[in-house]
Amino acid sequence: MEKYLNKGIKAVITEFPAIGAILDGYNIGCTLCGVGTCLLKDIVQVHNLSPEDEHSLMARISSVIYPDREVEMSFTPSVNAAPKPRSITYSPPMQGLVDEHTVIKRVLAMIPVIIETLDVSRYDDRRLVLDTVDFIRSYADKYHHAKEEEILFKEFDPNLEMVKVFNEDHMIGRGHVKAILEGLEKNDNQSVKEHLIGYRELLTGHIKREDEVLYPWMDRNLSITQVGSLSAMFTDVDRQFMDVREKQEAFVNRLEETNKFEEVR
Amino acid sequence: MAFEGCPGSKMAYFEDKEVQDDAPEAKVKSRLRQWPVQLHLVSPMAPYFQGADVLLSADCVAYALGNFHGDYLKGKALAIACPKLDAEQDIYVEKIKGLIEDAKINTLTIMIMQVPCCSGLLRLAETAAQSAGRKVPIKYIVVGVQGEILQEAWV
Ligand SMILES: [Fe+2]
Ligand SMILES: [Fe+2]
Repeated sequence: MEKYLNKGIKAVITEFPAIGAILDGYNIGCTLCGVGTCLLKDIVQVHNLSPEDEHSLMARISSVIYPDREVEMSFTPSVNAAPKPRSITYSPPMQGLVDEHTVIKRVLAMIPVIIETLDVSRYDDRRLVLDTVDFIRSYADKYHHAKEEEILFKEFDPNLEMVKVFNEDHMIGRGHVKAILEGLEKNDNQSVKEHLIGYRELLTGHIKREDEVLYPWMDRNLSITQVGSLSAMFTDVDRQFMDVREKQEAFVNRLEETNKFEEVR
Repeated sequence: MAFEGCPGSKMAYFEDKEVQDDAPEAKVKSRLRQWPVQLHLVSPMAPYFQGADVLLSADCVAYALGNFHGDYLKGKALAIACPKLDAEQDIYVEKIKGLIEDAKINTLTIMIMQVPCCSGLLRLAETAAQSAGRKVPIKYIVVGVQGEILQEAWV
């Protein structure tokens, strides 16, 4: 069992597809994750299940791996498993990140509308894609992801698979942005569309996992002193990026407004 | 309905504690790092408040909680007050504001008892925080009269 507890989840699910279904049943969405290098033991701990749920989940997983024998589990349930909250409450600095996600999600929601009639040979359409890329680069990446990568994630062990996976998503996102710009250069309408959608899908899952799993787990593991210093550092970044935030929030409002008008027409 | 009096001073007696009286009590180390502690007596300019994680506790909390020192006071600077009986509470608001603005404290944790009058301390802190030109994370913890933690949340 030890061997599997220390194995990446994608490898475990590939070997035992039934485990993917079991995790789905506990609302642990590893089957949807593209990276899947988190270790099985970390996944169970990070989801903050009740001790009973944690125990029954582990029992079901081990019965898949060893169908013929009773496995004595060396896995110790998380000691500080908190009772499952009805709704997630975040510490103030974490709440700030969740609020930024809300802004990013508003742009992600507009992407299907943007690509519906997209023709990159038209000036206005090119402009719209460039403005969207500008939002992604300056707000979602430089501002928000910089807070995560440069500040928040640094509070945790960089070798934690949990943290690596989220950093990797950021890199994949940057790849989509690069491909969108290359598509514009080559007038490749299809490629621009594909990478806009790719970015939307990637970030939608990424944000959901951050809001529901990563941030609550981090909050449970941060000391109050760390929460205070994160809050101070985030306030500094907010001040530095004041102009970016104003400009990009205005862009999001405009984007939603314009598309409402088009629906009316 | 019969008048039952103030729940804050209603009498209760807790007999059956799980702890056996003859069980050996481990020596608990004091985690207090400063003097004085009463909110009227402390100054926000005191060195132990600068950049600190501050615990603002209602007077009764330390008596109700078995492990106040180890679990809550450890690593923090302390101020205590009673929102029900203390006089001149506008000075309290100024002092808390001074802690946030001048002492540039890192965080503020407010511990109060479950009795209704005790939430006055949380309100004082909220008033001070709203008028301060700096934001700090504020957490509050509500303690039951038998030392149980009833609620813990961010303001
Ligand atoms: Fe992220
Ligand atoms: Fe994020």
